Amino acid sequence: MNAVTYNIPAHLFDSYQGKSVIVRSDNPIDLVSYLSQGKLENVLYVQLTSIKVDPDPLVTWASALPIDVLVRNPAGEYPFLYNFSKLLDKHPVRISIPVKRGFVKAVRLALALGFSVKLEVGQPDTSLIAEMAEVLDLYIRRSEVSQPVEYFHSTFLSFFNRKQYPNLWFVQEEDPEQFRFVTNEGVETVSPRFGKTNWEDLKLILAARQTQSTLTEKAECDSCKFLQMCGGFFKWPNQEFDCEGVKTLFSRLNLAAEELHDDLVSFQESSEGLPA
Amino acid sequence: MMRNHLSVIFLPTNKCNVNCEYCFEDKTADRMSLDQLSTVTVKLLDFVDESSISSLTLHWQGGEVMTMPVEWFEQAHERISALAQARNKRVDHGLQTNMIAYTPRWNRIVKEMFGNSVGTSMDYPNLYRKMFLGGPDDYTRIWKRNIQAAREAGINVGVISVANRETLKVGAESFSSFFVDELGITDFQVNTPFPGGEQNETKRDLELENEELSRFFLDLTDIWVERGLPEGVKLGPIDQLVAHFTGEPSCLPCIWQSNCADEFISIDARGFVAQCDCWVTSYPEYFFGNIFEHDTLSGLLKNSPARQEFVARPAAIVDKDCIECDYLSLCHGGCPVRTYTMRHTLLEKDPYCQLYKSLFRHTETVAARLAGARVDRTDFRKALTHTGKGKSCGSSSQITAAAGWQTPLLVQLERRPRKLSA
Repeated sequence: MNAVTYNIPAHLFDSYQGKSVIVRSDNPIDLVSYLSQGKLENVLYVQLTSIKVDPDPLVTWASALPIDVLVRNPAGEYPFLYNFSKLLDKHPVRISIPVKRGFVKAVRLALALGFSVKLEVGQPDTSLIAEMAEVLDLYIRRSEVSQPVEYFHSTFLSFFNRKQYPNLWFVQEEDPEQFRFVTNEGVETVSPRFGKTNWEDLKLILAARQTQSTLTEKAECDSCKFLQMCGGFFKWPNQEFDCEGVKTLFSRLNLAAEELHDDLVSFQESSEGLPA
Repeated sequence: MMRNHLSVIFLPTNKCNVNCEYCFEDKTADRMSLDQLSTVTVKLLDFVDESSISSLTLHWQGGEVMTMPVEWFEQAHERISALAQARNKRVDHGLQTNMIAYTPRWNRIVKEMFGNSVGTSMDYPNLYRKMFLGGPDDYTRIWKRNIQAAREAGINVGVISVANRETLKVGAESFSSFFVDELGITDFQVNTPFPGGEQNETKRDLELENEELSRFFLDLTDIWVERGLPEGVKLGPIDQLVAHFTGEPSCLPCIWQSNCADEFISIDARGFVAQCDCWVTSYPEYFFGNIFEHDTLSGLLKNSPARQEFVARPAAIVDKDCIECDYLSLCHGGCPVRTYTMRHTLLEKDPYCQLYKSLFRHTETVAARLAGARVDRTDFRKALTHTGKGKSCGSSSQITAAAGWQTPLLVQLERRPRKLSA
């Protein structure tokens, strides 16, 4: 995907006609109402930014657009996910969950209800790494989990297929070359990961660095075997961040992919000669 | 708001022709007129339209449906079909009956309206099912005679059996043998008891120990895997759990849906609307309202404080300990009516939690073993296609899972359809 995708508030939908957009609102009625006034072909998905709302307008909505539901306070708000399970009958639904204390409960319930999950991850400390490891176990080992957990899923596929997919900047929809966030006031910004740096300044900074990946920090990244998948994602905004924890997660994904790969090869070998 | 499919447990009569000691319904002599039925049908179809629901199934039961004349059903079928057709809708029907009043006169309507299938009930040993005059043996004798006659007429008979103390004593081997070998039943399911409705001596003693019950269900699972599965016997919910864990389409019972309040309602002969047949017959404080007294079903449901309690239940209890459970996705705290009748609150998990966990664990292991043994996939799928009653799954070709989330450029794992039906 080369075109820039804009995450816009619903009330600006009309102004962004013809551009690739993610349309957000904290009110399901607004989403249905504003999106009924334009063409939906360039809408990647709609994003509901509050979970403490009645989702019924989206349940009865004629459109089958994918819906992303943001759980801002995962440890406290996660039981509200039950109200959204009926959306699955008509829409692909993903739950975006910030990696904050206690977020694992939200992931557990989201997966139990059959939702896809995207972890909104910053620079996780040791205790958050432990929770992420718990989620990774769910994703890799539990037969009850049938939906992707991003960014684990894309990373796993990269390892499993031994093929380079877009790195975490893209998977997490934070690549400033491809995703822009438009504030409620209509100001275009890049991922909050870059703090208050605006896009024009950021372009200059990145160009000046001339690194392998435009967003990669040097030093620790240079010797990291997961650089291609990560793209320096975890080095922002604090370049001093110690990647040891996230590297452990990458290693476990790699190991799981290799195990699955080996299992399939061994299954194929043992199947040869059996009747079809 | 409901999901994409609406199931209605519909009681055209609250009257029954037998006197079962453990029945959770408090009976009345009420029955619905055909004009009332038309009113209910119109309101249901209005609701389906308004809520963008794609399909509607009426699960007919009572009271006892066969206390109503066959002719009433013939006219009911005509009226409902005409009303649905006028809106380009389809209504499917299921029938649950005790079969005590069955005669061959029912054959035509069973074929035309109910797809030549009936669901009925029998326990083994039968302790509590009785005629008004006569004991359990008389009941069993008449029931056996009538299901035999129905099967000879080509009707598919599915049986629901409720485990009791004697069931646990005689064990899974005898239980399975009674239904499969002695009666030739190839489609049955086992339910757990609960003391719903007006209390009596029998109900005070109805709850079974989780440990004993687990042993029974696990033994039954092993017997089914060894003998039932290869013969195509359907044994709910065990077969559906094995299907689920094997990644096959499965249809799990209503007690294990994420929220039964999103799946179905019940309407009785007086027009009362409640969560299911037990609530609508026995717990007026949990009625959602009366459909004859409201302009729309959506208004009735939306403004019902009782319904809000059901809608809120899974979210209210999940943080207690369900959230840590490996099988949360399968159970979500279990059945509200079992909880309420045994624990006197909606806000606890199902008292049979321990049984469910044991059964989930065991069937998961069995499924892995079956997959590993490379069971013939064609026969396996056939055996796991269930048509039993008491499920909240929609009828054929009506429920399809939405496509999975598409992250640009990435191959997605396929979402397992949880609710495909036979």
